[in-house]
Amino acid sequence: MSTLKYSYYPGCSLHASAGEYDLSTRELFKELDIALVEVPDWFCCGATPAHNVDELLSLSLCAKNLELAEQVEGDLAVACAACFSRLKFTQHTLGENETKRTQVEKALDAKVRLDGNVKHLLDILARDLGLDKLAGVVKTPLKGLKVACYYGCLLTRPPGVPNLDCVEAPTIMEDLLAAVGAETVSWTHRLECCGANFTLSRPGVVLQLTNAILESAKAAGADCIMVACPLCHGNLDIRQQEIEGVYKADYKLPVFYITQLVGMACGLTPERLGLEALIVDPKTLLKEKGLL
Amino acid sequence: MHKKKKMIISQETMDIQFVRKVEALSGTSVRRCFQCGKCSAGCPMATFMEHPPNRVVRLLQLGQWRRIIEGRSIWYCASCETCSTRCPNKVHLASIMDALRKLSWDAEGPSKESYVQLANKLFLDNIRTYGRQYEMRLAAVFNVKSGQFLKDMMLGPKLLSKGKLKMFHQKNKNMVEIDKIFSRIEEMRRKGEAL
Repeated sequence: MSTLKYSYYPGCSLHASAGEYDLSTRELFKELDIALVEVPDWFCCGATPAHNVDELLSLSLCAKNLELAEQVEGDLAVACAACFSRLKFTQHTLGENETKRTQVEKALDAKVRLDGNVKHLLDILARDLGLDKLAGVVKTPLKGLKVACYYGCLLTRPPGVPNLDCVEAPTIMEDLLAAVGAETVSWTHRLECCGANFTLSRPGVVLQLTNAILESAKAAGADCIMVACPLCHGNLDIRQQEIEGVYKADYKLPVFYITQLVGMACGLTPERLGLEALIVDPKTLLKEKGLL
Repeated sequence: MHKKKKMIISQETMDIQFVRKVEALSGTSVRRCFQCGKCSAGCPMATFMEHPPNRVVRLLQLGQWRRIIEGRSIWYCASCETCSTRCPNKVHLASIMDALRKLSWDAEGPSKESYVQLANKLFLDNIRTYGRQYEMRLAAVFNVKSGQFLKDMMLGPKLLSKGKLKMFHQKNKNMVEIDKIFSRIEEMRRKGEAL
């Protein structure tokens, strides 16, 4: 029934530590009748480390991925906020800077293609499919679930580049959850950085920043957090117990991916959403809310 | 330590050539900054830096690049882009940070902040070797090379049981192509065609 078709760039984390994001994305899209075909033999986008020390390499890796994506019909669907930001930044920069484009074309030994659309899953669910249509297929509204929507840094920044939503006051996640019947809380740390890849080099930094995020979500009365990025998820979920120990706090806030919460509302089973893989166990909360 | 705080601005310490390189690499103007400090006010990492973001730009305006690249500030930037988002005068500070790290990296990192640099290096090595990230190897090699053998050891079993730690790397058929991209960039730099 649906004619929505996308090429799909999962990114490295979704094939490893964020397997449940990949699984829930594929299952949700199947349920919504949206075609998703993975780009064959895609590369790492270089993420933050590449542009941190070698912008030319970062731009070249992303441009190569954009070229590979052309093999599959449809706009490019991206799940990870970091990959999304880099691919968008590359399109933007190469479109505007002749020198950098020439250098990248030399590095790839090919002309770069900048005309394809790159879209985050949020954009596809909220705009391409549409909130009304989504609300129409909801089987189990997430009634009574109070969610803190966490955007992190890279979904909306830098200004004028991803153009997903307002750079300082986005609402796309809240709108999405309203369509599936969940409540969202108003809180302070929606767009604050979680420390991202410092999780490897300087985990102390991550603990401090992430603790502030968890504290803010808890203070706002949230039952759980929703994210759209595997790095944010890793820091908030995997490190949560450690943070509770270091900062003598008690959060117990399950951290869901966007596709897990929307999938739950669409009636997908916990197995199809990979809920088992979450470190902070959501079962008690979901049972309490009558969602499990 | 005390002596280091004194700044001498002279022809010997100023290097405007360096500033031009930063501007070329970042595509943004260092001179536009009027030191309002909004970048530092919103920076989540400023507390970890010896020079907060606005001071990094001020030092750059004064041609004092050594102070910047010898310190750890640029390596503690998380690239969250809050500064670039909020700058009232359109200075793209996150791109300036990228350019500074690149130039510091090329100078073989005189900075004492070695962990972040090591993590970056291993991340890029993984791309060249496997085409994609290999998280398990990244963490293991980082621990060995940084001498922190027990770092995050408690997380290991938990991640394994949840299927989050993959023992083997992801397969990619384009490995020749990826190596060519790295080689062509190296070649361009040797010939002076790119910074």
